[in-house]
Amino acid sequence: MTNNDKLKLAQNVAVISGIFCSVVALLLLLNFWQFSKNDPIESKGLETLVERLQEDPNNDGLKTEIRHYDLLARKAYFSSQWQVKTGAYLLLFGVIVLAFALRVYYSQKTRIEEPEKVLENEIAGRILAQKGIVIVGGIVFALAIAASFTTVNYLERYNWETTSGEALNEPSDETVEDKIEVIDVGEVTEQPVETAPEAEQEALTPEKPVVQEVATREVEKPAPEPEKAATKTPVPSMTIDIVRKNHNSFRGPLGQGVIYHENIPTNWNGTDGTHILWKSPVPKQGYNSPVIWGEKVFVAGADEQSREVYCFNRNDGKLLWTGNAGNIPGSPSTSPRVTDDTGLSAPTVTTDGQRVYAIFATGDVVAFDMNGNRVWAKNLGVPDNHYGHSSSLITWDNKLFVQYDTNKGGKILALNTSTGETVWETVRDAKISWASPVIAQVDGKYQVILTADPIVAGYDAQSGKELWSVECMMGEVGPSVAFHSGIVYAANEYARLVAIDVNTQNIIWENDMYLPEAASPLAHDGLLFIATSYGVLVCYDAKTGDQYWEHDVGTTLYSSPVFADGKLFMMDNDGVMRIYEYAKEMKLIAENELGETAGTTPAFADGRIYIRGENNLYCIGK
Amino acid sequence: MKKLKYIFFIFYLLTFTLPVLAQQQRFPKPEFESGYVQPSTQTPEPRALSLEYFDVLVLLVVLSLATWLAIKKRSRQGILWLSVFTLIYFGFYRNGCICSIGAIQNVALSFADPTYAISLTALLFFILPLAFTLFFGRTFCAGACPLGAIQDVVIIKPISLPKWLNKTLGLIPYIYLSLAVLFAATGTDFIICRYDPFVGIFRMDAKFHMVVLGISFLLMGMFVARPYCRFFCPYSVLLNWMSRFSKWHLSITPAACIQCKLCTNSCPFDAIDYPTNEKEVLKSGLGPKRFLVYALLIPLWIAAGVLVGKQSHTWLSKANPDVYLAELLISNPEIKNDPDNIDVQTFLASGKTMETLVQEAEILRGKFYIGSMIAGGFLGLVIGMTLLNTVVFRKRQDYVPHKGNCFSCGRCMDYCPVEK
Repeated sequence: MTNNDKLKLAQNVAVISGIFCSVVALLLLLNFWQFSKNDPIESKGLETLVERLQEDPNNDGLKTEIRHYDLLARKAYFSSQWQVKTGAYLLLFGVIVLAFALRVYYSQKTRIEEPEKVLENEIAGRILAQKGIVIVGGIVFALAIAASFTTVNYLERYNWETTSGEALNEPSDETVEDKIEVIDVGEVTEQPVETAPEAEQEALTPEKPVVQEVATREVEKPAPEPEKAATKTPVPSMTIDIVRKNHNSFRGPLGQGVIYHENIPTNWNGTDGTHILWKSPVPKQGYNSPVIWGEKVFVAGADEQSREVYCFNRNDGKLLWTGNAGNIPGSPSTSPRVTDDTGLSAPTVTTDGQRVYAIFATGDVVAFDMNGNRVWAKNLGVPDNHYGHSSSLITWDNKLFVQYDTNKGGKILALNTSTGETVWETVRDAKISWASPVIAQVDGKYQVILTADPIVAGYDAQSGKELWSVECMMGEVGPSVAFHSGIVYAANEYARLVAIDVNTQNIIWENDMYLPEAASPLAHDGLLFIATSYGVLVCYDAKTGDQYWEHDVGTTLYSSPVFADGKLFMMDNDGVMRIYEYAKEMKLIAENELGETAGTTPAFADGRIYIRGENNLYCIGK
Repeated sequence: MKKLKYIFFIFYLLTFTLPVLAQQQRFPKPEFESGYVQPSTQTPEPRALSLEYFDVLVLLVVLSLATWLAIKKRSRQGILWLSVFTLIYFGFYRNGCICSIGAIQNVALSFADPTYAISLTALLFFILPLAFTLFFGRTFCAGACPLGAIQDVVIIKPISLPKWLNKTLGLIPYIYLSLAVLFAATGTDFIICRYDPFVGIFRMDAKFHMVVLGISFLLMGMFVARPYCRFFCPYSVLLNWMSRFSKWHLSITPAACIQCKLCTNSCPFDAIDYPTNEKEVLKSGLGPKRFLVYALLIPLWIAAGVLVGKQSHTWLSKANPDVYLAELLISNPEIKNDPDNIDVQTFLASGKTMETLVQEAEILRGKFYIGSMIAGGFLGLVIGMTLLNTVVFRKRQDYVPHKGNCFSCGRCMDYCPVEK
């Protein structure tokens, strides 16, 4: 092939590929124009049909037509996408061929020629360059200045004084400390005063109740009262005996899942009413469990409109009062997005016999006295939690412990139970978690134990100081820890089960055969129980980790196993409570149906069990 | 031999199996009976760490090869084919990410935000080309940059631009660099990546205006060689600085220059400096007096830049999505009722309070206040130094590549008749 032939070939290829590129580019432009003019996904026709369906939601013919239309629109959309993609590849191919042909053409044509005379005067070029630089620099600066003059600083116009609670104008996390709403319960004397039920008084013995009990009443919407000084009278610390007489937190006394009441019923049926003493509807939904103090049972509920705490009479199921957790400074105007299986009210409330405390997915913490008067309320800042905040509260020694491990960092807070002020706050080197704090007595001192990714750690209840920490956990930690004889048991699905000696911080044993997703482990009397979300209840030797038995119940287990009256109580998500001998051999004593689904953990009082179903609160007794 | 086979097998197993296992989803995606395959939500898809290091290794090999081909082998053909490989591997296969140009932003953010941990890969992609340039000139631009390569292969009939235009347009990369660093350091945006004109071509997936921009650059690049590299690339600023100190830079002639002038028109990037005409310089009046004036003006340029930066920080900060959203909600509160405004609806659904948003926006604006002043001062310094540079004459007797601007592409070497 001669040089001329090569030149001609390159020229022809360049011309053909050039025409090809132009045609493809034109078609692509046409497609783009057509698509922008008539986007099938944003079809007006489809919108009209949907509007018609909203007016007539039972019109099956219309539904079929919409489905058909929607399918056509999607097909048109994806066809157009395919055309764009294919066109782009064809264009790329054409451009490559064109570029290659042109290169060959010019390289064949060009020969090193006699160098041209340099026409550009170096000095003149430099002087022109100086002018160009000054002009360009000047223009850039002038444009920036001009833009700054046309810019309005709207941030300066923000009105920080606008009423809190109003949409889009909420106080920040940093300022909530100053905005704790405190109501002096001692001054709520306009209510008809009655003597508090005797049993409730007894619940606090030997301590003398400080706050005068006022009449039980239903507080639908506590009127926002002006801020007043809180009752600062020191409240005697709870003792372990008092706590054991009640069921004041998630999983009972100290959150350990061990109940000290006896004479617990083992047979009932929620459908036919056998041994159901009462059943009361809970106004708003919540996955939190009941807690008990004296003659009162407390649960919480929430929806998009409001957040509430309910107090029921333990004996007859009558709703005594409803505490509203609205109008809290800093509370967001709209509820944070949570998943359906967590909801806005997953954390269980807690009580110290003086007040009942609740927290919601909004970050609102609220305290009511035992008669439903709101004592204080504050917002901790909306927790950045993709499922919803679920860590329950627990109280001890006049402090309310709040685990606040969010996507923005982890921390644990102790709030003054009388005023809501922060007593201490400890930042945790942990990722987000959903586990609840558990209180444990180690060497005569109380500590709060938490588990999260990656640490299981203990904090001094008095000062908040991190006493110990073991890096052993991972994933999205939901189950709280179990504590027994100086050993902490922590577990999480897709991670592992570990037994940690608190004194040495050594992992005594570990296992990854059966792991819980939501149910917390139970450790008591030499045995350890794990309940998995896929329905297997497993019994281990707490000291060695040897497995004694397992029972596949075939349904989801989110509720935590509880020890009571020498037995193991295990509720499944279908509302069936299985009762086992608390022993090394598996012995199923009873299976009792509630009649509605329940994933919560039951509460116990003398001779009674209190279970929160999906819609109702049940009291079971002999 | 058997041992070697085992080693190879283990290497294969570790390289290909572990990343797959590591990337297994906690909850498997549903399987569709129709055979529908769920698309990846990220482009390019996350890469296993071992493969990221493999990319670094490829970069290192390509840089070494480009350097060897430009300086030792003196092969334009070799550099061309190497840049084609780069275009295919770093461009079309790796979808233009990660690239050294964009890595500037990762580095800037890691300096400004202590909570941001820069990946070792990004750091190496940033440092390696600079290190090579410091010793060997811009061999990275010659054969290891996919953005340079795609422009290089479309150079058809380059025209020479006048010096004043080259100098004036040469300010743009400095402006782009200072804005890119400002926006990255404030966590606003990675504008180098967002406005990369060629990444859409590499990924065959871009917004229409970016496709138009990319094609425009390529069409322009047929006649004005490598327009993005010369007049936009922010990384070229750093490479230019480094290259000026390079000891083993590419030379046009392998031995002594015979002043044949054959190479004078060979550089499509106008990066060949001619011998100094001392007589003209003396006549020009651009002597020490003007040098002194321009040198004294530098602090004034810097001060002007700082002032401009201070004034314009409010305007610049509006590019930040949080500041923008806060101002939008303040200036137009009823927009919260607009269900179609995704930004506003997402904010409302997050549960974050307005005060928190405004406080965050104010903190960001504070960062812009400092950052804009630094960026403005830097631009003032650049203008002052560029002006000063126009009155500095270096004595040259031969035709030599301009160390800062030369891409080490090796075109000029083909024109030199001198044998080693």
